[in-house]
Formats: sequence, C-alpha cells, structure tokens
Amino acid sequence: MAKRVSVDGWLFTVTLLLVFIGLVMVFSASAVMAKERYGSGYFFLLRQLGWATGGILAMVAAMKIDYRRYKHPAVVFPLLGLTTLMLISVFFLDRSHHTHRWIHLAGFSFQPSEMAKPALILFLAYFLADKTKSIGDWRNTILPAVIPTMLFIGLIVFQPDLGTAIACAAITVCVLFVAGMDMRYLGYAFLASLLPLYFLIFHVAYRRARVLAFLNPYSDPQGKGFHIIQSLIAVSTGGITGLGLMEGKQKLFYLPEPHTDFIFAVTAEELGLLGSLIVVLLFSIFLWRGIRTAVHTQETFGRFLVVGITCMVVVQAFINMSVVLGLMPTKGIPLPFVSYGGSSLFITLACVGVLLNISKQAE
Amino acid sequence: MAVNTARNNLRLYVLSGVLVLWCCAICLRLVQLQIFQYGQFERKKDHEQQRTFEVSARRGIIYDRAGNQLAGSTAVDSVFAIPSQVPDLAGAISLISRITKDDPRETLARCQAAKTFCWVSRKAENDISQRIRDLHLRGIYFQKESKRFYPKQELAAQTLGYVGMDDQGLSGIEREFDGQLAGKPGKMLLSVDARNNTFSSVEQQPEPGQNIVLTIDQQIQYIAERELAQAIADTHAVAGTVIVENPHTGEILALANQPTFNPNQTRAVTPASLKNHAVSDIYEPGSTFKLVTISGALEEKVTNPNEIFDCQMGSILFNGMRIRDSKPHGLLSVTDVLAESSDVGSIKIALRLGDERFYKYIRDFGFGSQTGIELPGETRGMTKPVSRWSKVSIAAISMGQEIGISPIQLANLISTFANDGVAVPPRIVAATVEPQTAPKMVAFHPAEGHRVISSETAAEMKQMMRKVVLEGTARKAVLLGYSSAGKTGTAQKVDPATGAYSRTKYVASFAGFAPINNPAVVVAVILDSAVGLHQGGQVSAPVFQRITQQVLEYLHVPHDLELPASRQVLMATQIHDQDLSDGPQDHVGAGIGITEDGASSQQVEASNNAGTSAPASQVGIIPAAMREREPVTATPLAAPTTTSQPSVAQPISGTVVLDVQRSGIVVPSFIGKSVRAVAEMAQESGLDLDSVGSGVARDQSPPPGSHVAAGSQVIVRFAR
Repeated sequence: MAKRVSVDGWLFTVTLLLVFIGLVMVFSASAVMAKERYGSGYFFLLRQLGWATGGILAMVAAMKIDYRRYKHPAVVFPLLGLTTLMLISVFFLDRSHHTHRWIHLAGFSFQPSEMAKPALILFLAYFLADKTKSIGDWRNTILPAVIPTMLFIGLIVFQPDLGTAIACAAITVCVLFVAGMDMRYLGYAFLASLLPLYFLIFHVAYRRARVLAFLNPYSDPQGKGFHIIQSLIAVSTGGITGLGLMEGKQKLFYLPEPHTDFIFAVTAEELGLLGSLIVVLLFSIFLWRGIRTAVHTQETFGRFLVVGITCMVVVQAFINMSVVLGLMPTKGIPLPFVSYGGSSLFITLACVGVLLNISKQAE
Repeated sequence: MAVNTARNNLRLYVLSGVLVLWCCAICLRLVQLQIFQYGQFERKKDHEQQRTFEVSARRGIIYDRAGNQLAGSTAVDSVFAIPSQVPDLAGAISLISRITKDDPRETLARCQAAKTFCWVSRKAENDISQRIRDLHLRGIYFQKESKRFYPKQELAAQTLGYVGMDDQGLSGIEREFDGQLAGKPGKMLLSVDARNNTFSSVEQQPEPGQNIVLTIDQQIQYIAERELAQAIADTHAVAGTVIVENPHTGEILALANQPTFNPNQTRAVTPASLKNHAVSDIYEPGSTFKLVTISGALEEKVTNPNEIFDCQMGSILFNGMRIRDSKPHGLLSVTDVLAESSDVGSIKIALRLGDERFYKYIRDFGFGSQTGIELPGETRGMTKPVSRWSKVSIAAISMGQEIGISPIQLANLISTFANDGVAVPPRIVAATVEPQTAPKMVAFHPAEGHRVISSETAAEMKQMMRKVVLEGTARKAVLLGYSSAGKTGTAQKVDPATGAYSRTKYVASFAGFAPINNPAVVVAVILDSAVGLHQGGQVSAPVFQRITQQVLEYLHVPHDLELPASRQVLMATQIHDQDLSDGPQDHVGAGIGITEDGASSQQVEASNNAGTSAPASQVGIIPAAMREREPVTATPLAAPTTTSQPSVAQPISGTVVLDVQRSGIVVPSFIGKSVRAVAEMAQESGLDLDSVGSGVARDQSPPPGSHVAAGSQVIVRFAR
C-alpha cells in the first residue's frame, strides 16, 4: 500500500503534448483568418498561449492540493450554486449570435457551461462516495444524484448548447455506471430521454437539418451538408502525410470554426493520417492512464473524480473527432486541450491537475 | 469490499472497453478517409468554391530620351461582383452601369452566367470607382489593377500605340514590344464559402514589365506635331507626316502624324488616325527621288555638278512617251537640274547611268527594303527589279514615278547625304531597361551603317541641295541664322478609281537637313492631298522651315550664318509669328544674312566648320546643357535664344540620358586619355564606366564638371 511519491508521468506528458499540438494547430488554422479579421496572424495563438500558460499553472497548483480537501460540503455546494447562478445569468447577460453561452468580464470571455462539467463531477463523486452500498436505492441515492445533472442539462439545452448537455449526460452516466448503479436504471433513463431528445432534435430546425445532413450530406452540399462535406474534404485531402503545416486550404473559410470545433479536420488535412493518429493515440493513452489511476485508487471519492475527469476529456475528444469524421451529427464540442477556447482549456487543465494529484496518491 | 472493488474494477474495464471500441472506430474511419478515399473530394471543392482570376502586372513605362514619361501606368480599381452574394443582381448592375455608362444587359448576362466571380467594370477611373463604392452594394468588391495612361495625351500617339482592356499592346511600340512591356500577370485566388464569406489571397505576385526608352525627344515631337497640325489646317490636306532624325546615328527625334488620336480614349479611335504614315505609307516620291538619280550618276562619275544638259525647253519624247517639265528650261547644269527639278534633265542623267546601275543605287539607298525601325507595319515600299522594267521605266523612276517609297525611307535617303554618304538605319528605341524605381542613363548604340556613296559625292550633293533651297524650288525652306538644304517633291496621286494619275490630288513633300556642315537634323515633311497650293516647295517647305528653325534653336545648335544684330530681336518674334500666320509666305529669312551677303555667309560657314566638324560620331553624347533643360510643359517654346550668347559646339548625339542628379561628385574630364587611364580615373572618382569603342577618349557623358551621384554611370566613347 506504499503511496507513490510522484504524479503519473504519462498523463502529465500526454497533456502537455496535446496542449502543444493545440497551440501549433490553432496558429495554423487561424493565422490567415486572424490576419484578415484582426490584422495580426498571431491573434488567436497569443490568446491561446496565455490561457495555456494560466491553465498549466492552475494544473500544477491543483496537483499540489490534496484532492480530499474538495470532499467537503463547503466546497461542493457553493460550486454547484455558483455554476447554476452563472448558467442562469447568461440568459440575461449575453445575446450574441442568438445564443446565450458567454459571460464577458474585463476583456475575458467565459463559458459557464464549461464550469458545469467539473462541478457535476465533483458533486457526483462527493455524493456517491459514501453511498456505494445504497446505490440501488433510486429514491435516496440515484434521484438526488441526477437532480443537478438534470438542472444543468436543462439550462444548457436552452442556451442552446446541446453538445455540452450531451457531454454532461455522458459524464454522469459514466460515473454512475462505475459507482455500480443497476443497469436497469440506465435503461430507464435512456428510454426517458428519447422523447425529449426527439423533440429537441426534430423540432428545432437547424438540429434536424444537421441530423439529416449527417445521414445524407450530399442532399444539400451548399447548405446544410456543407460543414460535414467540407470537413470530409479536408480529412481526405490530407492523405497519409498531409499537406504540411500551414498548407491546408480548407481552413480558408470552408471549414466552419477551423480553429475550434473543426481543428481536428485541419490537423488531418495538414498532418495527414500520421498526425491525426498521433492525436488519437495521445487521447487513448490519456484514457489508459486515467482508467489505470482509477483502478489503483481504492478511495471511492478519488476514484469517481478520476473516472469523471477521464471521461470528460476522452468522451468529448471522441465526440469531437466523430463529428469531424462524419460519424456523428455536428455538435458544438471542442477537442480538449487542442481547440481554441480559453475557458475550456483552463478548466480542463485544472481538472487534469486534480487527476494528477490523485494519481500521486494512488496505490 | 474486495468483491465490491473487483466488481467496480470490472465496470471500469467495461467502460474503458467501450471507449476503446469507439477509439478504434475513429482510427478505422481515419484510415478509410485518408487512404482509401484519398483526394476523392478535391475536384468538387475547386470547382464550386474557388476561382482564380488574373490581375494585370504593371506595364513597363515608355520614356522619351530625356526620361519623360510618354506612357505610364496608374493604379485604378476594377469592380467585380460575387453574384451569389448580391441580393438584387439586376438592380445592382443597373445602378453601376448608370455610373460607368456601360451596357447593363451585357454585364448582367455575364454575371448571371458566373456564380462566384465576374468583372463589372474593369479599370474604372477613380471618381467612378468612388461613386460605385459609395453605393455600398453587397457582393460588389474592388481589386487594384494598373491602367495604361498617356500623360502627354496625343503626343507621339501612333508611335506609342495604345492598349486594350487587358493592357495588351494593339499598335505602335505597345504592340511591337508587347512581350517586354507586359510583364507577368499575377493571380488572385477568390474563395467563397456557403455562408458567403469571401476571402481573396494573392497566389502569384504580378511581375512588372520592362521599361522602354525611345530616341524621341518630347519637345521636338511637340514642335513637329504642332507645326504639322497647323499645316494640315492651312492646306486642308487629308493626312501628313513629319520625321525628325539625327542623320549620324539614325535616332528618330520626332515622328508626327496627322490625323491623330488620344490613346487614353481608345473608344474614339478611327483606323485613319491610328495609321503611322511615316512607316506604313507607300507613295510615289516624285522629284525627291531625283536625288537618287543624280547622286548615283555623280558617284559613277558619268557626270559632274557643272555639266550642262539641254533640257529641250521642258519636253522630251522618250521611247514613245512625252514628258513635260512644269516650267520650260533651256540649258541647265546638273546642279540646276536638281534646283529647278527638271524632269527632262534627270531623265537624261538617268540614261547615262543605265538600268542596272540605277537599280543598284535604288537598292543601296534602302528602297525596296525595310529600314528595320522598331515599329509595326513597316512597308518595304514598291520597287521592281530591272527585269520587270518597261522601256520607259528608267525615265519614270528617274523622276520618282513607278516606284513606291515610305516617308521613313525618304528621311533615310536625306540622312545618307547628311552623314557623308553613310546610311545609318533609323531607330526609335534607345534601350529596353529592367523595371526599377529610378531611371538611369542608358547608352544608345546605333545600328550598323553602310556607305552608299563616297563622302566627295555626298559633299557635292549637299551643296547642290543647298542650292535647291537658296535658288531653286524650296526657297521657303530657308532658315534664319542656319544654312539648310533639301529637295522638294510633288507627286500626282494615282486615283484608285481610274488607275490613272489624279489631276487634283498631290503628295507634296520636302526633305532636308540643317545646318549644311555637320547637320544636326534631317527633317522630312509629307502632306497628302493639300487643297489649293499643292507643290512640295509651296506647302511642305514652310513646315520644314518652321520645325527645323525651332528644333535647331532648341538643341542649341550654333548659328552658322550671321544675323544682323538689329534683326535678332525681330527674328525671335518673327519665328513666333510665323507659327501662327497662315497663307503663302515669302521666304522671310531670305533677306537676313543669306542673300544680302552671301559671300560672308560662306565665310561664316567655313569658320564654323572648324568648330563643329567633329567626326560624325557613332555613339554621340548629349551635352549637359541639353539634358538639364526644364521639363516640357504644354506651353509653346520660349522664344529662341540668339547668337549674341556664345554657344559651344554641341554635336547631336546618340546617348540617351535619363535623370540628371545635380549634387554629388564632380565628373572629371576623360577626353584624350586611354581606356585604361579612364577606367582608373573613373574608379577613383567613384563612377561607373561604360566605355564604347577603343582608342582615345573622344566624348563623354556627363560632360566634365557635371555633378552626379556617386556610382553614376559615365559613358565614354573612344576612337582611334
């Protein structure tokens, strides 16, 4: 039962590598557009660099703080409350792009929905840590456990940000599953979500269009199928070795959000199969080391935190890649560590810090 | 606890297993897309979303010999539309067409056919593009392009030519040197995505074209054009041309044509105004061709200037053809045959020469072949070989009929006499230079000349041609303060309808040079179908007189005839008045210093010879005084300076000098030094030496004492 003194080197290295790849690709994907819109090709790179530096500092700091300190109502519930408050406040503060996702404060933009994921993970870990024996009790355990999830998902769906809502749901399901929840409840929950999902998708014009476009992108190549087709063009153009950094053409206004949601497409186009497989491999290593840490962490609070954080990173990454590769309908989910986006990068890195701290104390 | 842990670990493995499967699916999909479907989508992308369009390169600048821009380029806006972005295409096009005054239907049809890109208005004037900009139309964009601009408007229009919408040269130098001037167009990549974002990027930078330096002097060109236009107005001729040439180097200093056009407004161009008569017209020369007849006979020594011919009172019957002189003459010396332009006399002289030898001189003087001047559409003229001559051909040709020549060939003929019997082919392009920010000096290397007649014969011809002006048919060609020589010609035009000689349409010509020793310029004037007075001596000689007088003063050629001091001021005003006066004139200058004291004028000529008769230079050099003149404005020439100011002998030149720097280092005198000494001196002074020839330094440019920037080029001509 000797505790390891050092953090998991794999996790640490993989994280830094992904952040580095992210910086390179953000620059490559955004330089031309940034020059056109902001007058400087380094606009997005410098911002991302700032956030990455802050995020890595936060990661190192979190690495030093014993994760057990978070297992306290005075940490968990204020965080939950604050997140709820922010999620509600965006409806009143921000009206850009017909969505309510951002809080702008002192020159920074912040996405509260990014905060929702760690808040949920912390709450679930805290709440379920001592309830592994009563995990079958749906009234006293499962229902209270999923109430914040439902609340957050509800708020996020109406931002509207279905992608993040689905990510929240997926994280919750993973933690509950590892906590030992009866598979029956999972089934029920799945059936129960079908109806709202149907309405959310098929009664919101643009989502229905996206799903239909996903099923048959070439029905409207200039319109609804445009994103997915342009993404597939980018990936297939890359070939094995890619066109080379900065050489991609699809990012030049063909790919929607080349530096955020579709950065993996730019990566695939410019670095080819080799580059994109390396990115996939890095996330796989992250998954492997995360699961391994979970296996080695006997203490349930730590274990659930590890599962939540690992799933948060990996599931988001896989959803993002699947969208880029046309395996799933388009959703607005960034590629963790890699995509441009300050709040996402900062919070994810901080969460990895917590994960690393746990890995240090694993058996 | 252990069971629980084991079970929970199992769930961890199940979870990771699911995620690993997902990961595998992603990897397989990547392999499928990037290996098996590699590049499959590419074609579609290019086809629908991108379009490259050409952006014209900056066309090379055409300079005159002093570095003045005759043709340049300005940056203007071209307007294009991305039709898919324009909400109301027809409306937008009609709004723009109202400003550009283009046909809206044609533009609309093109824009409806194109989805991503179409030009709406190419190279719009700045005020027009600003007005279009002010409309703030969606989907209408602007691209900077370079547009040809002729700052001097009509000046040398036929020589320069003009360009089409894509800057392609369509006539003149613009066409002849299109390859050098054009440069390489650039490429722009225009991308439009489905959300109608537009993005354009430079795919290939345009490469500017090479600049061209002409031998034309814009001031002389201006003089020639002004006087030609005045002559056309006075005589109501349908067309006319004037050539001013340096006989020693073949440099064309001016080449004027009427009617003319403004190359900036090519929509109004008519074929007649485009025609460069000087090189593309074929006409029967008439009496000017007697120069060939007589010089050939002199060279072959079958006669001499003083031999007397019986001109049979102006009528001769030759092989059944009766030829009459316009005036009856009795006994005339060869000199007088030329001065009085007796047809009978020249026929008799030609008969001495015979068909074969006569034909040889015709060809040697360059008739029947192109001079090689760098202008498109040069004619060879029309000469028949002896085998196709009829029995009367020699008689007809001896007086300039049955043969077709071009005005430039006539100028070349006169230049041969003026240049001591050596024909130097005329040239109009001094050099082609790489595009650069600042103009620099270039050297003009004349084409290789060939001797046609001996210098003795040439000297005899010069004196005889002098007499044409002094006593013969061209008394209106007498200059003030300068000796001049030349020959008139009046040819009946062949009526295309009847095939016979017209009784009303004449081509009146005069070609001559001045001053008589070391001539500075050859000037040829040809007027087509003058109404009323139509003789070369009546209508063309005065034009020669006005142009040559002004050009010589402008070139600071020293006077070789004395002017009475009391007349000097008067002369200045007279020249000015002469320009404006119309109607036939007495030879104003005749009384001044020539006929009044002809003997003393001869002396003056002789004394000037010592100063001016430097060997005819193969590469001459423009002296500083000429280079440093004020830039030309549209105002007429200032009243010429008179002989009261001592002027230095300044041989006219072959070097084109651009851009004079007034500060910097002082150019030393290289004259009389060896090539090696000059090279060392130049290096010490920090000058870049361009040496021409070998032997001892004879001429240099810039002249000693000029101030030039360090590293400037000095051109030094060496001769043994």
